[in-house]
Amino acid sequence: MDLFIQSLVLGILLGGLYALLAAGLTLYFGVMRVVMIAHSAFLILAAYLAWWFTTNTGLDPLLSLVVTVPLFFVVGVFVQRVLIARLKPATLTMMSVLLTFAIALTIEGLLGFVFSGTQRRIQLPYSGASFEVFGARIAVVKLIAFALAAVALAALYFVLKATRFGQSLRATIQNSEAAALVGIDTKKVAGYGFGIGLATAAVGGTALALDATIYPSLHWHWIGPLMAIIVVGGLGSVPGAAAAAMVLGVSQSLLQIPMGTTWAQTIFYIVLFATLVFRPHGFFGGRLAQRF
Amino acid sequence: MRNASDTAPTTDTGAPTVLRVIRGIQILAVVGAVVGVLVFPLTGPGPFIMSVGVVILSYACMATGWNFVGGFTGYISLGHAAFTGLGGYAVGLLILRAEVSPWLALVLAAVIVAVLSIPIGFASLRVRGASFVIMSLALVLIMLLVFQSWSDVTGGSNGMRVPRPFGPEVLRPEQHERFYYLHVALLVIMLLAWWAIDRSRFGAGLKAIREDEDKAQSLGIPTFNYKLAVYVISAFFTAMAGGLYALWFGFLDPIFQFSILTGSYMVLMSLLGGIRSLFGPALGAAIVGYAIEFFKAQYGDTQFHLVALGLLLGLVVLFMPEGILPSLNRLLDRLRPSATSIREESAEDLATKSAVLVGDKEGTP
Repeated sequence: MDLFIQSLVLGILLGGLYALLAAGLTLYFGVMRVVMIAHSAFLILAAYLAWWFTTNTGLDPLLSLVVTVPLFFVVGVFVQRVLIARLKPATLTMMSVLLTFAIALTIEGLLGFVFSGTQRRIQLPYSGASFEVFGARIAVVKLIAFALAAVALAALYFVLKATRFGQSLRATIQNSEAAALVGIDTKKVAGYGFGIGLATAAVGGTALALDATIYPSLHWHWIGPLMAIIVVGGLGSVPGAAAAAMVLGVSQSLLQIPMGTTWAQTIFYIVLFATLVFRPHGFFGGRLAQRF
Repeated sequence: MRNASDTAPTTDTGAPTVLRVIRGIQILAVVGAVVGVLVFPLTGPGPFIMSVGVVILSYACMATGWNFVGGFTGYISLGHAAFTGLGGYAVGLLILRAEVSPWLALVLAAVIVAVLSIPIGFASLRVRGASFVIMSLALVLIMLLVFQSWSDVTGGSNGMRVPRPFGPEVLRPEQHERFYYLHVALLVIMLLAWWAIDRSRFGAGLKAIREDEDKAQSLGIPTFNYKLAVYVISAFFTAMAGGLYALWFGFLDPIFQFSILTGSYMVLMSLLGGIRSLFGPALGAAIVGYAIEFFKAQYGDTQFHLVALGLLLGLVVLFMPEGILPSLNRLLDRLRPSATSIREESAEDLATKSAVLVGDKEGTP
């Protein structure tokens, strides 16, 4: 029973991180019909920057967010304006997959070049600390990572719901032609949307760096589950992605008890497969999600 | 008749000569390439160069296999490495566990993978664009997971040794030469199959799907069946390419067999050469394959080849999404006297043509 509670709690903590990253991923698709394969490569890049920051300054990796979040936002706007915007609308989705795939490869290669393929891990004063709640032992770093993800997700929710920009963003997600007709500058929205998406990768990467061994090709390990989550949640739906992330993260964690760590990962693909067969547009997305 | 009026404006004066010249250039290029490929082993390259030749031909087979789906339907699969990997492992397992002869194993493996691809295609082809690509990516990731973890059967991360079909007494250079020609033979079979589909009603239907799937469907093309059929054909050939490579290389490691990189090579090669043309993927394979081997030899195991691959793919997507061969053809087009002499088939033409043909078959006007 203890093991069950332990796994459940760990699953929720992991699900929070998945939710943040999947929300970013689904934002690109919702606003621009772009499948951003490089999202997890940027995640690993942020993790490396956090590691580099802490190793060289001795300061807490969370402080690196002050630099990485705005930096990633600007890079996101830049990537959208300079690269993605060049693609023809007719083949945008397919070509964006390949273009962002190319970006992912380039980042992975550069990371390997600069930091070498050696596995890295941040050493923190509180690295080994943990405490017990209801019979479940929780590592402090895991809780901080979850809190970070929760704060970022809440901020994202606030931006989407309460600001004027969020309103235009949601309008663009719902119907970009209509949004343009009522005077929303959809190009600008697309750029900022991309920037916000990448900013979530900066937060996620830092959260990841607190508690994981990182290496350049780690992003392939993340992209599969994240992609599965956004399809299951319904492409373009932020709440759908968050819900699917939580459900799948917890399932993965619970399945580790009977199946072991590796096999438990298959849950993402099994659910993805089943979703495509029985509900191709996912659980929250509109019919639209099938088309692109 | 629409066709008659469309071909009518051809300017007769001089046009046929120019067309013949263009045709001549094209034939000459193909014949030159064929002779070059066949003669290459006779020029006495060392075993290393010879092995690079085999690798490039293997890439050409994979890319051409990929192009059955990518070229005809426009569905970009990033996960075709799942099929080469499965083909390789199926060959290895059939030889080792079922003691089937290697060549029979090669054919059986391709058939098995083709059968496996039916449910996979059934799930992934129901969705378009993004979901399809994600599904294809997931496919190769799950295969990696399964083959790494299921060590009782697959040898797990330790890999699997596949016995050499020509026996240990055949020396390495000879081994390379035989497999070189075997790959050429497989490539020729694939090209013939692609060519046949390209000219068939089935092919016209597939291309209509590529241009506008909804319209194709509304014109009565059984789009799902067509997509599934070509997906299975593609899986069959891609698996056979993977199996032949496994027989040559003699060792399987899940990390390399089910690698996202292998799948992306196929896409890059096909795109670079031109997915709409018969020889495009093979040409792309020659260029990219050579570049990969060059980077590996030059920069060893640094991650530099990833950067090079990434930049190249990015440039192709941004500036040459049509590929080299279509661009060259367009260049030749400029020589042509008037654009109307040879009519490009537009999306609607393809759809109508295929629908009319489908209609004919069913006895409706």
